Amino acid sequence: MKIALLTLAGLVLAPLAGGLLAGVDRKVTAWLQSRKGPPIIQPFYDLIKLFAKEKLAVNPWQVLCAWVYLMAAVFSVVLFFNQADLLLLFFVQAVGAVFLVMGALSVPSPYSQVGAQRELLQVLTYEPLLMLVFVGIYQVTGSFRISSVLDHPRPLLLELPLLYLVLTYALTIKLRKSPFDFSTSHHAHQELVRGVLTEYSGPFLGLVELAHWYETVLILGLCALFWATSVPGMAILLGATYFLELLVDNTMARMTWRWMLRYVWTVGLVLAFTNLLWLHL
Amino acid sequence: MSNLVLLLVVLPFVAAAAIYGLRAAALRSGLVMLTGGVLAVASVVLLARGLEHDFTGLPTAVLGVAWDTLITVADFALLGVILLWGLRRKSALVVLFTAAQLVLLAIFERFVLEPGPAFAPLYADSLSLILVLIISIVGSIICIYGLPYMRIHEEHLALRRSRQPEFFFYMILFLGAMNGLVLARNLLWFYFFFEVTTFCSFMLIQHDRTEEAIRNATRALWMNSLGGLAFLLGVVIAYGELGTIDMLAVVQSGSPTGVLLGALGLLAVAGFTKAAQLPFQSWLLGAMVAPTPVSALLHSSTMVKAGVYVVLRFAPAFAGTALSTGLALCGGFTFLACAALAIGQSNGKRILAYSTVSNLGLILACAGINTKAAFTAAVLLIVFHALSKGLLFLCVGSIEQEIGSRNVEDMRGLFHRMPRTAVITITGILSMLLPPFGVLVSKWLAIQAAAENIVVVTLVALGSALTVVYWARWAGLLMGSRKAGAPWESQPLLTRGALAVLCGAVVVLSLLTPVVYGELILPMFAAMPALDAAAPLEVGAGGVLGGPMGAFAVYPVFVVLVVGLLAAVLFMRRTGRTRYTHPYLSGIHVGERDAGVFRGPMNLPVTAELGNYYLATIFGEARLTRSANLAAIVLILLMMGLAMKGGVPS
Amino acid sequence: MFDALVTRARVKSPWVLHFDCGSCNGCDIETLACLTPMYDIERFGMINVGNPKHADVLLVTGTVNHRNKKVLQALYEEMPDPKVVIAIGACGLSGGVFRDAYNVVGGVDRVIPVDVYVPGCPARPEAIIDGVVAALGKLRQKAVPTAAGAGGNGRFHPRMKATGSS
Ligand code: SF4
Repeated sequence: MKIALLTLAGLVLAPLAGGLLAGVDRKVTAWLQSRKGPPIIQPFYDLIKLFAKEKLAVNPWQVLCAWVYLMAAVFSVVLFFNQADLLLLFFVQAVGAVFLVMGALSVPSPYSQVGAQRELLQVLTYEPLLMLVFVGIYQVTGSFRISSVLDHPRPLLLELPLLYLVLTYALTIKLRKSPFDFSTSHHAHQELVRGVLTEYSGPFLGLVELAHWYETVLILGLCALFWATSVPGMAILLGATYFLELLVDNTMARMTWRWMLRYVWTVGLVLAFTNLLWLHL
Repeated sequence: MSNLVLLLVVLPFVAAAAIYGLRAAALRSGLVMLTGGVLAVASVVLLARGLEHDFTGLPTAVLGVAWDTLITVADFALLGVILLWGLRRKSALVVLFTAAQLVLLAIFERFVLEPGPAFAPLYADSLSLILVLIISIVGSIICIYGLPYMRIHEEHLALRRSRQPEFFFYMILFLGAMNGLVLARNLLWFYFFFEVTTFCSFMLIQHDRTEEAIRNATRALWMNSLGGLAFLLGVVIAYGELGTIDMLAVVQSGSPTGVLLGALGLLAVAGFTKAAQLPFQSWLLGAMVAPTPVSALLHSSTMVKAGVYVVLRFAPAFAGTALSTGLALCGGFTFLACAALAIGQSNGKRILAYSTVSNLGLILACAGINTKAAFTAAVLLIVFHALSKGLLFLCVGSIEQEIGSRNVEDMRGLFHRMPRTAVITITGILSMLLPPFGVLVSKWLAIQAAAENIVVVTLVALGSALTVVYWARWAGLLMGSRKAGAPWESQPLLTRGALAVLCGAVVVLSLLTPVVYGELILPMFAAMPALDAAAPLEVGAGGVLGGPMGAFAVYPVFVVLVVGLLAAVLFMRRTGRTRYTHPYLSGIHVGERDAGVFRGPMNLPVTAELGNYYLATIFGEARLTRSANLAAIVLILLMMGLAMKGGVPS
Repeated sequence: MFDALVTRARVKSPWVLHFDCGSCNGCDIETLACLTPMYDIERFGMINVGNPKHADVLLVTGTVNHRNKKVLQALYEEMPDPKVVIAIGACGLSGGVFRDAYNVVGGVDRVIPVDVYVPGCPARPEAIIDGVVAALGKLRQKAVPTAAGAGGNGRFHPRMKATGSS
């Protein structure tokens, strides 16, 4: 019963939290650039506007893909609050990631095509890292279930500090922050127009945006698991992590995907491996 | 019971001979369909009769000749034929490996083998039964799909004399040999059927008799002859240690010594060649030159599955040994390397081929991890890979016959031209990489099972991420626009039927994963005391496959995702108020909405060149193959070395 | 209430597409100046997007000629409703100093409907921002019929307009 309520709360609150976070993100970014920035609730204005716009698409597959993306994101958040299996959750969110890419690939526009290819490379980069983070969690708690993480008496951070770093890499890529904003960027203007999102417009872009909020909450939830023993700890961890993300976003230039693949896989794998190894020995 | 075995093993041999004799196309089609139907029914009936059969009531002789003698004679005859083909193709390797087998077999049968305690030569447990089902049902569907396919294929070739009798002779024979292989208990019978599949695949690969086909078939033959040699050597050494050619005795020998481990290692290497594991992948890639039904058969229900079956069959015998760890590493490495190689490919069939090798690598890695969870993952992967890969090959075959290319770049917007096939292909592709499909359930289990071994789990994690790339982009570019009211593509009934049945089976069986596990895989563990003591997964309420390590709620995930998809389709259908417009081409597009054409210099239309990132500088064959092969050889040698050093638990 | 919310959201979130329709670049520089931190148009929820499919406001600088009028039309067509168009500078208004050139069609409103005209040669950034704010008023008016589902924001037919004005 408690879990059901929690799930319901997650379902409703996740987009609110995700939207607010996006607002804070823009505000802080503006602040870092000595601007005033939009109101905190700006992302909600954007979303409502998008949903109220004319439905415009190139083909029906895009509509399908945008919906599936949203549903997969929502479902993975539901699974998270249900304290389900981490790997299962991971696979479900992959459904969304894949459909987003497929929708972009269904349109013969060079911008969305190249964006889709780059998005795939981003997926390629963060997926193994996330999986290794889960393996680390398993090695500590003896299970892939989120419930067993919550039952763990000590913060995971103590045993998996390097894997937490790895997770933040995955977070940065998943949030498409600089230097990893290849497939599309939040600044709405890049060499690929809007990359993988170019051909999603109006309400369908709204769906994608909403799904992205759910995903942000999901992945921050994963971060929160690393200090699940205390609520203030969780808040500190998330706050610090997200501020670091913003700092990185605002101080880094966009790099190339080649660099990303090489750098993140090397650093990520070395960190993950080191951490797993010392757990193992 | 014995009648069923006759139907499953002997009938295909007889039917194949009849097909060879028949020149009339209608009769041949009828016979192929009949045989396929009988095989499918017989396999289901065999399953319905129970999960374990020792076939004690089988007659030991036919027409006064003992079965054993018959098999021996046939074995020598077959090796002789292969030797002749080797001479004819001037392949020293084939001749060498086959002659070695002939000599070894002759010495073994004449001087070494002594009559031991009698045992029934055939045996079935649920592992065999699952494979019999796959062979008899998926294999038959592929053969039936082959009927219209080969007609069109020969129309394209404009042959003077149809070569279909020979084609279907080997196809049907293949099914019989495979059934024999997975039902064999006598290792010499096992070996015989193993060789028959080698020979059938050789004949089918060189079916079109082009220069390339002949070359690739010869390569397949020498590699598989090497496998045959390894198998025979393994059997002989195992006999030297245990004094029996009873497969069950070998499997249950318990705590194997160094020499016996070496023998088991040789059997594993035999499996590697059949399953086209690195460094033997080139024969399976070369097999692409054959007509598509052959590829489908080799990749999904026969041949390569024989390879993993061999390994999986003997895996419990070496659970917990260094051989097992070595095997897990080899499998994991192949999984990763071939997934990487697949990214560099734009040829649809080569993508499928690398994906097959890669998935078989994962199966073998699971066999190497050798726990109940891993074993379950391996068996589930065999089942679902057979269905999905069979389906995908048939799809690519149909697409190729329609558009004249197997390059995925040429399949852009296929939905426009072949809507039905495109949707089925997309389903097939997604069934390889997304939940709620069965492949993902087994991948989930595989990762859990591998989680203790950080090297293997890293290999698997990297490999499965690479997998996403080559599948997702292929599925994506098949999508496209269609004008309302445009006609559906026309397709021969049998083609459409085969695609629809396989596609339906993938979906339905994915839903039934908990049932498959509970009814077929779980009972297997009773006979495998050597595996880990941990409790196997349990099938909980609502189809939750759960163990101590985690839980996969199969039914809920299936229902949510399918309902979600249907809802999304509904939203998609409500297109009345959606305005369709051109893709964004900087405002200079011209022509049809989905054409991707823009107005270039001199007002001339220019088509926007689109292409996937194949990343040839990172994942290209030219770049990776040599080093991957080298690494694989080192790993295999390492595995064998570790095995022979003695059964040191790792 | 729902309509009011939607209207408010629209006014609060104008995403701008800037199209240089053959400008001398004077107006472009001024337009881009609006995007600098100094003017910080994001305060108003404005974002400069590169894609008509994401845009609510089309900023056009420069004269329309026979070649780029098709591009202008296409961009306009690819914007989802409701949308507003702002013509910037003397050129955007009427063709400006290029008015009499052989290849020039004229101002933006010869091809697509224009909601707000921002004069100047070049137009000042403050004037441009002012123009966008004025456009938001137009957007508020347009918003209601779309929310009701009627195609009241009427697709524009250039030919009709052309005959009407000539
Ligand atoms: S109005 Fe003046 S500054 Fe602007 S484009 Fe025309 S000529 Fe250039």
